[in-house]
Amino acid sequence: MASIAPKKRTGASRARTSTHEGFLRHNNGFWGKLSAAIALGLMALYIFVPLPGQHFGSSWLGYTLGTIGALLILWLTMLGMRKRAITPGRWSLKAWTSAHVYLGLCLTVIGTLHSGFHFGWNVHTLAWALMLLVIATGIFGIWIYATAPRALSANRYDDEGAITEKQMIEAIRSLDRQIHDAAQTLDPQSAALVNLSLEEDAFTGSFWNRVTGNYPKCATRHAAAELRLIRTYQPRVGDDPADKVDALLTRKEAMLGRMRRHLKLKSWLQAWLYIHVPVTFALIAALSAHIVSVFFYW
Amino acid sequence: MSFLVRQIALKSSGEEIVRPSTIEGAELIIGRDAASAIHLPDLAVDPRHARVKQAADGSLTITSVGELAFDVNGRSNTQATLDPVVGAELGFGGHRITLSRDSETGLPTFTVRRVEAVSDSAEDKDVTTAYTLKGLLPGKRISAWSFAILVLIAFLAFPIYSYVTYKPLAMQEKARRPDSFHADQTWSSGPLSAAHKNLGGDCQACHTEAFVAVTDNACLTCHTKDAHDHIADKSRLLKARGDPTGMAALQRVVATAFNRPAGRCVDCHTEHEGEGAMPATQEKFCADCHNGMKGRLPDTKIADAADFGTAHPQFKPMIISGMNGAKPVFTRADWSPSLQENNGLKFTHGQHLSKTNGIAQMVRRMPGQFTGSEALDCKDCHQSDSTGTRFEPVEMEDSCQSCHSLSFDQIGGTFRTLRHGEPEQVVAELRSFYRGGAPARPATLSGLARRVPGDAAARSTAADYARAVRFYPTRAEQAVAQVFSNGGMCYDCHTVTRGGTAASGGFAVQQVAQNARYYQKGWFDHKPHNKSDCADCHTQATTSNKASDLLVPGIDGKGGCRTCHVGGDGAKLTTASVKDPVDSSCAMCHSYHMDTDAPWAPKKDRKKDVAQTVAVADRPRFPVKLH
Repeated sequence: MASIAPKKRTGASRARTSTHEGFLRHNNGFWGKLSAAIALGLMALYIFVPLPGQHFGSSWLGYTLGTIGALLILWLTMLGMRKRAITPGRWSLKAWTSAHVYLGLCLTVIGTLHSGFHFGWNVHTLAWALMLLVIATGIFGIWIYATAPRALSANRYDDEGAITEKQMIEAIRSLDRQIHDAAQTLDPQSAALVNLSLEEDAFTGSFWNRVTGNYPKCATRHAAAELRLIRTYQPRVGDDPADKVDALLTRKEAMLGRMRRHLKLKSWLQAWLYIHVPVTFALIAALSAHIVSVFFYW
Repeated sequence: MSFLVRQIALKSSGEEIVRPSTIEGAELIIGRDAASAIHLPDLAVDPRHARVKQAADGSLTITSVGELAFDVNGRSNTQATLDPVVGAELGFGGHRITLSRDSETGLPTFTVRRVEAVSDSAEDKDVTTAYTLKGLLPGKRISAWSFAILVLIAFLAFPIYSYVTYKPLAMQEKARRPDSFHADQTWSSGPLSAAHKNLGGDCQACHTEAFVAVTDNACLTCHTKDAHDHIADKSRLLKARGDPTGMAALQRVVATAFNRPAGRCVDCHTEHEGEGAMPATQEKFCADCHNGMKGRLPDTKIADAADFGTAHPQFKPMIISGMNGAKPVFTRADWSPSLQENNGLKFTHGQHLSKTNGIAQMVRRMPGQFTGSEALDCKDCHQSDSTGTRFEPVEMEDSCQSCHSLSFDQIGGTFRTLRHGEPEQVVAELRSFYRGGAPARPATLSGLARRVPGDAAARSTAADYARAVRFYPTRAEQAVAQVFSNGGMCYDCHTVTRGGTAASGGFAVQQVAQNARYYQKGWFDHKPHNKSDCADCHTQATTSNKASDLLVPGIDGKGGCRTCHVGGDGAKLTTASVKDPVDSSCAMCHSYHMDTDAPWAPKKDRKKDVAQTVAVADRPRFPVKLH
């Protein structure tokens, strides 16, 4: 969400100043400070408010914390709806995200205090555990959002400047065409190896291949290696087409490596949401069961 | 003979360009080699892949040159004979060659077309999704729905099913669910206390109705005998508690709004608090009503009470106020240092416990007979009962008789004693003694017996006999009067009047009653106090010489309970000086469900200081109270 700050209109300077401010630092960390204050306040209440010695969750403070926690969970879930409408200003999506992150972190304190540290194999602890799982994946998401973009940029830049996702595909295509042309004169065995590389889809691979960036069955690498093995004991001739194919395959391998690093970083950016979002809904279901059960067996 | 080859290429606009060429000869080669008649720039095709020969009848024979096969009409072959008139479709790698007969020239025609892209990457990619995890993981929406529905089925629908299944068992003491897993157990907020452990998975033993808070009836289904009502009239109970104010009022409003009525058993007896026993109740709950109760319940006979150290009324011991025949009449009286209780006995505590008088001297002369060697001790007469809580009644035979002997005659080494507790028997015994007990007339004084010659012996015997008769108390009534009158055995300890029957010689002994328990509403146990001296509390015992002095301590004053006991939080009156304070909450002496026994406390805590057994919050509380 980079933005270009409008310079003073009267100013003579034409230098453009980027004032990017992420959701973590938004509004001078207002939501972070507020959440910390809420957390500390609630802990103080938990410790100092005199209450009868019973389940904390069924005291007035416990019910209050529970209500706040449940409503907060629903509000936090609404980011999924809110993020589809990007608006500027005080109630901008960035402000909303900042609040989502910090109030979500604060929820660990609210939910845990509501439990009164009574845990067991029951629906109540299930809801609490799901809540923590959602928050933990959220924390992981924050960490990825804070670190992955820089790594993505570093991966995309080289001596010739940046390369876009579309250009990555184009580069592979171009190399494939060149390899195809250069390999025309190869013997059937070598040609078959090269063809394997051409037929390989750069986007194949399991989720595991994506997140680890590890592709042990890469046909391009296999083709390059095998070709070199074949050529090792062959006499060197002046204009060997295999030389050109080898050089091209090496370039393709490098390009694929960069693309796969890109894919890995992108998958990290997305993968946590595949837990964060579904578990949120499991949490809302468990939360409903928790609330209904309390009133059902009142 | 010749062939027609039509190479078809695609423009970027999708338009086809056809490049026809005619190959002379009866044979041609299909391959990747640029010299081939049908040149296929395809890495999946051998440099010289197949040879096509035309036979005289016009049919074509296609044979693989190397080992690689080719497709004919979709099937893999290394050799095929085809008729151009019929036509066929050949496949070589990514190329498709259609065999036909040119209608104008009649030549066999090969129409060559590339059908597969040079490489996979050359195919179209959707950049917006290619770099995402779409397709690699189950979609967020589908997993969200599945997880949510799974949780709702397992933790909402299934438990409700269990509830409905066993609903008819509710409110029946003996009816229990079978011992197996029931889904509504997943709703349990914590383990049940030791007493209710056997209810286990039977949620409906208490939670009888859905969305209805646990009722007292559910408790009383099993607790038919041991739930002593604090007050039978529940409306008075609520009135005594008064209307809540402030935060409590808000809580009451919310509780009422959520169908959670106040004043139920479970208000105090909270469950699912963990294994082990239910904790005793906090003092606050007593004071909620009893603090300033007179204001809310003007007709109550109970004095206001709150903290023991500062706001507890004077004790009201139950004392013997008179006798109804053999039965004592008890009355509650306000304790005062001069309060008297007539139990019918004469007894001088001070004299008996003296260390200097004749009684002490007697103890010193009979070492080993008494607890101490210098003087009598309380224990010589007062024996605690088997529980150690209170004392056995003092028995005359065990405690008094060793000094206050009832013997009146000795036969050999045996002492004859009067019967204690039965004046008629005493009188009869004495009368019988005097009737048959006169000295026998010596044989020498009768006329028939042989005797020593002379009168001297007979005279001496007669004189002895006359003296014995003269000095023998002959009048039984005189002895009876002596025993029952001042200086007599009975009179020493008992109050004797002249209202008796002839059988008891006209005397009557006042009935004696011993008070076993003075404080009926509170619980006092001597056992925990056995490290103290008796006189620490019963301060008057060593000086009192009046049997009617009530030596039982009250709340204040010398030896009073507040000498050591302070309030639950250590509060005390400014006038009280306490050396070793003992924090005393209500539950130390009082029980909500009061019976004749000690206040209830969890079994594991019974040996502990009672102040520490009441429920305390299981979370860190400040200020932390250090004991």
